[in-house]
Order: sequence, then C-alpha cells, then structure tokens
Amino acid sequence: MPRFEVPDVDLSQYSMRQLAAPPLAVLIIALAVIGGWMATTGSPVSPGIEFTGGSELVAESNAPQSEVKTAFETEPVNVRQVGTGGNQYLVTFQSEEVPSIRENSDVNLDIVQSQSVSATFGSSTQQLALLGVVGAFLGMSVLVFALFRTFVPSIAVVVSAFSDIVVPVALMNVFDIKLSLGTVAALLMLIGYSVDSDILLNNHVLRRSGSFWESVDRAMKTGVTMTVTSIAAMAVMTIASYIFGIQLMTAIGIVLVMGLTTDLMNTYMLNVTLLRWYKFEGVSR
Amino acid sequence: MSWFRENWRVAALVVLLLGSSIALFAPGVGAGGGGNGQQAEATSGPTNLNYGLELSGGVRLRATVTGVTADGVNVTVDNEGDIAESVATALDVDRGDVRARPAGGTVEVYQDVAPADVETALTDAGYEPDSVSVGVTQATRDNIVSIIESKVDATGLGGADVYDIQTQGGDRSHYVVVEVPGQNATQVQDLIRGRGEVELWAFHPGENGTQANTTVLRGNELVEVDQPTRNRQGRPIVPVQLSNAAGERFADDMQRLGFTSQSGISNCQFPDGGYCLLTTLDGEVVYDASMGPTLAQDLRAGTFTNNPTFTITANSMEEARQLQVNLQAGALPADLVFQDSYYVSPSFADRYKPLTLVTGIAAALAVAGMVFLRYGEPRVAIPMVLTALSEVVILLGFAAVSGLALDLSHLAGFIAVIGTGVDDLVIIADEVMTEQVSSSRVFQSRFRKALWVIGAAAATTIIAMSPLAVLSLGDLRGFALVTILGVLIGVLITRPAYGDVLRRLLTDNR
Repeated sequence: MPRFEVPDVDLSQYSMRQLAAPPLAVLIIALAVIGGWMATTGSPVSPGIEFTGGSELVAESNAPQSEVKTAFETEPVNVRQVGTGGNQYLVTFQSEEVPSIRENSDVNLDIVQSQSVSATFGSSTQQLALLGVVGAFLGMSVLVFALFRTFVPSIAVVVSAFSDIVVPVALMNVFDIKLSLGTVAALLMLIGYSVDSDILLNNHVLRRSGSFWESVDRAMKTGVTMTVTSIAAMAVMTIASYIFGIQLMTAIGIVLVMGLTTDLMNTYMLNVTLLRWYKFEGVSR
Repeated sequence: MSWFRENWRVAALVVLLLGSSIALFAPGVGAGGGGNGQQAEATSGPTNLNYGLELSGGVRLRATVTGVTADGVNVTVDNEGDIAESVATALDVDRGDVRARPAGGTVEVYQDVAPADVETALTDAGYEPDSVSVGVTQATRDNIVSIIESKVDATGLGGADVYDIQTQGGDRSHYVVVEVPGQNATQVQDLIRGRGEVELWAFHPGENGTQANTTVLRGNELVEVDQPTRNRQGRPIVPVQLSNAAGERFADDMQRLGFTSQSGISNCQFPDGGYCLLTTLDGEVVYDASMGPTLAQDLRAGTFTNNPTFTITANSMEEARQLQVNLQAGALPADLVFQDSYYVSPSFADRYKPLTLVTGIAAALAVAGMVFLRYGEPRVAIPMVLTALSEVVILLGFAAVSGLALDLSHLAGFIAVIGTGVDDLVIIADEVMTEQVSSSRVFQSRFRKALWVIGAAAATTIIAMSPLAVLSLGDLRGFALVTILGVLIGVLITRPAYGDVLRRLLTDNR
C-alpha cells in the first residue's frame, strides 16, 4: 500500500530571505493583479449578478449553445454549459427580470431554474458581504492576538491569513470566477480554516519544549496532513459538484482549494520565517 | 461509575448518535412544517428531514414596499383626515395613498416621492415631523403580508409562506418575502405584481359632449364575494353583495348619471360613447358591460337596495378568478417592487438531493483515503473517519428535530464540517502518537495540549463564520449556522470522544 508521508524538508538549510521571498513575491503579485483589476474595472474582483443585479437561468435543451443564445428576447451577456451532461446551460442577462423566450424561436428549451436580482438589492448585498469579510478578518485578528499575546507570532498568523485570502481573490480574476455568495462564504471559511495550521505551528514553537526546528518539524507533520486532507476533500467536492452542475459547491470548493494551497506555502515559508526571526533575533533584542 | 466518568464523552457520542438516528428515521418524530419562518416542505422520502425551496422546488420573491414614512407627527383621531388630505394635495397623489396613523404618530405616503417633499408638505401644513425616511410602517407591512397570504390562499396555492424580514444594509432594509412551493413562478408573480384594486367605473356622457368616468363601486364596499361562475349568456362573472350604504349610493349614482334612463339601458359603445359599466383592475379596464333592463328596473323601483347583489363581469374564467381573488383579499395599500426572485422547478430541485449526497460521500472517501495513506493503521484511521461522519449524522439529526428546512447551502456546510472535523482529529492523533503512549496520564496531558489548539482553531472558525450567521446574506446563513454548530458539536463532544477511543486503543492501561 502506498503511503502518504509528509516529506522531511529541512527548512533550516535555507536562509530567512530565501524562505520568505517566494510567499512575499506571490502576495505582491496577487495585490498587483487585484490593483490592476480595480484600476480597469472599478472593483477588486468581478462581482456576479447577486451583487450587480441582473438575471440568470438554467435551461435544459438539446440545442447547441449558439441556438440557446438566440432564443431569448434579450441577448444574454453570457451562456455556458453547466455540468458535464451536455444539455444544461447557464444563461446570464443584464436585465433585472428574466426575459421570455422569443415567440418565433424554434429552439426547444425548458427553464428549470431562474434567479433575478435588482441592482439596489445587489448593491446592498455587496455592502453586507464586504462588511462580513472585514468583520470576520478583524474578529480573527483580535482573537489571534488574544491567544498569543505577543506581537510577532500573532502578526505572522494575521499576515499569512491575509495572503490566504488575497491570493485566491487574484486567482479568481485570472480564472474568470465571479464573486458570488458562494465564493464569499469560501473566503470567510478560509479565514477560519487557514489559521488552523498557523495556530498549530505557533503553539508548537511557543508553548512546547524542544528546539525550534524540532517543533517546526512536528507541527509541519501534523499541519501538512491536515491541510492536504482538506485540500483533497475540497478538490473532490469541486470536481464532483462540477460534474453534477451544483454551482454553489463548485464555487466554494475551488476557492478553498486555492486558498488552502496558498496556506501551505504561507505557513511553512512565511510564518516559519517570522517565528524564526522572533525566536533567534527578535527575543534577544 | 468511574468507567462512566472516564468515558462520558464516548457515552454522550453514542447517545447523540442513537438520538439522531431516531430523529432521522423513526416515523413521526421530526418536527414537520416550517417552525422558524422558513419554508418547509412536508417531510417525504425515507428520512424526517425537511427540505427548503432550493431542494424541493418552488418560487421565492423578495420585494420592497414603495413608500415614505414621516415619524413623530402629532396625529390624532380628529386631524388624521386633514393631514392626509393636505399632504395628498401638496404632493399631488391620490388621497388613498396617504395614511396618517394616530397610534404611532406616523404619516405614510405610498408613492415613490422624495422624503424631503413629504417633510415640506407636512411642515407647510403645520405638522413638523421628527424624521422622514424611505419605507413604510410595520403596521402597513403586516397588513401587506396578511393580504398576500389571503391572495395566495384564495388562488389555491398550498404550502405558501409569506413573511417580512429586516436586513442590515441600505435604506430599504425591510423586505416582504413570498415563498410558494411547486411550479407556479409566473402565477405567483402576477398575483402581487399590481395592488389588485378592483373598481367599477361608470362610463357616461359628461358635459359638452365628452365622455366621463365616475367610480361607482370600490372593492372594499363589498360584504360578500362568491366563487366565479357563468351567467345565462355564458359570460364569466363574479357575484358580489354590496353593503347597504354602498347599495344605496350605487342606485343613486346610476339614476343620477342616466344609466336607468331609456338612452342608458343596453347602450354601451366603449370606448366611443354610450353608457357602460367598466370593470377595472389597478386602473386598467378589464371588461365593459352595458346596463341590463332588469337591473335598471330594480334600481329605479328601489328593490335593488333591499338586496344589493350585483355581478362583476370578466372576459375569461381565469380573469374572473383573478378579480375574485383581488376582491376577496382586498387591495394592497402600496406597490411592491421585486428585488430578488428565485425559481427552481421541483423535478430539477429534487435531483440536487442524490447528487449532493454523492458529492458528500466522495468528499468523505477522499478524507478517508488520505487518512489511511497517512497513518496506515486502521486502529487510528477507522475511528477517525467514523468520528468525522458521526458529526454529520448528529447535525442531520438536529436538522430533523428542529424542522430546519435544508437547502444547498446547508449541505455545503455539512461537507465543510467533515473537512474541519478531520483537521482536529489529525491534531489529536498526531499529538497522542508522537511517542509511545505508556499510560493514561501521559495520554491525558498530551490530549489536553491538543485540545488547546483545537479550541483555538474552533474559536477562529466560529468568529470567521459569525458575520454570515448574523448578516442577512440569503443562502449563506444556513451554511454558516451549520458550520458553527458542527464545530461546536465537534469540539465539545465528538472530537474529545475520539481522543478517548484512541486512548483505549493505544494504551494497555485502562
């Protein structure tokens, strides 16, 4: 039976600069992507209809995509296939009401799900969602500071959690994933989820006996197992729900996979380096 | 008893699992019906779980009420009419669109007017308001909810749920929500699209050769509305009975306007001229009829007022039914503006259930696979996977008992719980197994250390999720609640229980 072993990486052979540079570079690139997106589109990530207003429907039809596109009285802004069955289409419109099927259209389609949101409702949802993400992040930060009561280890957790959210958001722009209620939920989950391994690492280094590198090693064995298991679960959920066309779960899953993968890098490169500096240089000052 | 003291967590877990299984599968245990304002379908299928709209099919509409409310106005029973009158005149709106309420000292205008204009109108009339804002009063919303409820009932759409909710954002933070199961998306929308004000207008020759409209009967002047039927000519009609006062006024109006005269009877050339009785819905003419000779006779002779019954005519049976629903339920005091509508067909929604189940099982298998690959020891891995799954079973049991209407977001939450749960179990297992565990005491101390990390991690997850549980972000509240509840059950019961099980398996010392 093959075994999944957490690889024994000797982090001590790398200098602090070598370890911290990649995650910081990734964070800076992510911020640049988001900044560029903001400069060109006006928002850090393209919001979906739940936030901008508009309508969206799922239609079942044997007709090809190009025919589905022309079947409505209003031209849809986007048509794409849902699931892998081949006959379900997600059609998005800018109008606040779901348009009717054109009278003279000979495309045979069945609307099985539809949703429409007014622009006012959308913008109030957007405010609430932003409030939620900021509130959750601040709450988490306060809690982390309360738990460790020392600046450097606490800020290490907060910085890596920040990067865990920023990188997936930048990736959402790259892969053209729209911000929806599902992805907001996933970002909030990341705040809670991704600090698990950071807390574990801090706890091992600060509150346990043993040398710094021994503690890091032990924390890594557990932490990597945790995160990789979660990534596996979420990746499977993403793939299965994609095949079945369950969009909410696909959205949550894919953002979590991206965020947790970022977290692996951040925890064991950035966070470890900050703790190392704190242990070996910060304390003695 | 000492056995129990040491193993109470395992015992609690077993009890909870049994209880959840009973709640899930025993017939007649689950709390049916929506107990918490949520739409809940009647329980069906092999479990006692309730499914919400997204998983059972139906339509949900969220709408705001058009209107502006002034607070802190000195309204009394004596001046309420005057205030409404002068505000209506100043703003150039219908008198019926202004409502002064002595109870709360409020003046409402049911039109899309600027709050500043309402303030000016009131101040000019000598009633300085404390504040003026967009929105209507709770009393109006309650009224609207009950009117929509009776409209939905009168249409025969079963299992509907109408309520109003408040959200935290924006100035229009109150929403009226209508949820109706089944396949009636457009029907439900049509039902509340307009106010549903039915009136009977007299269309008659006015001064200097033009035609004039006079409202002769309003929906609220009826004391009885019967089921729609057909008259002798086969026309769809709604038989209604007028109140005595309205009957007398109607008879007077008809005679005064010349409907009972020789030229008035059977002489309708709508819209060109003549004498017509127009059935209108929200100001739109639905049907035009002429005065029948029998009714004219009754009106003239005064026999009409003894038994003021009347029929309102429509073009089709469907239209007649719509008129009847609107007459019976009454008109909405204000317009509704749809903010958000959601529809899913029952058959499409139904297939989400097995599909999510398969997704969940696949995710659980992935977790199990990783755990086996990592530990390679069934004694550690099997209880770990079982513990993670038991959290989901307990959550499902809780859902069945509380009558929580499950939606997709809840199911996503269940899968998230498996993910976080395993994190903690890995921490416990690693902590306990770092070195050979020789005694119960060593185990206890390690276990306690592991619990600190787990507690801290759980606290951050709960903090991160709590905004979603509090903010009204639609679907996501369910997701957040399930995740938080799952973390609590996990930290307090199942994950410590896993520690106990592991101790029994790894230490020889009992």
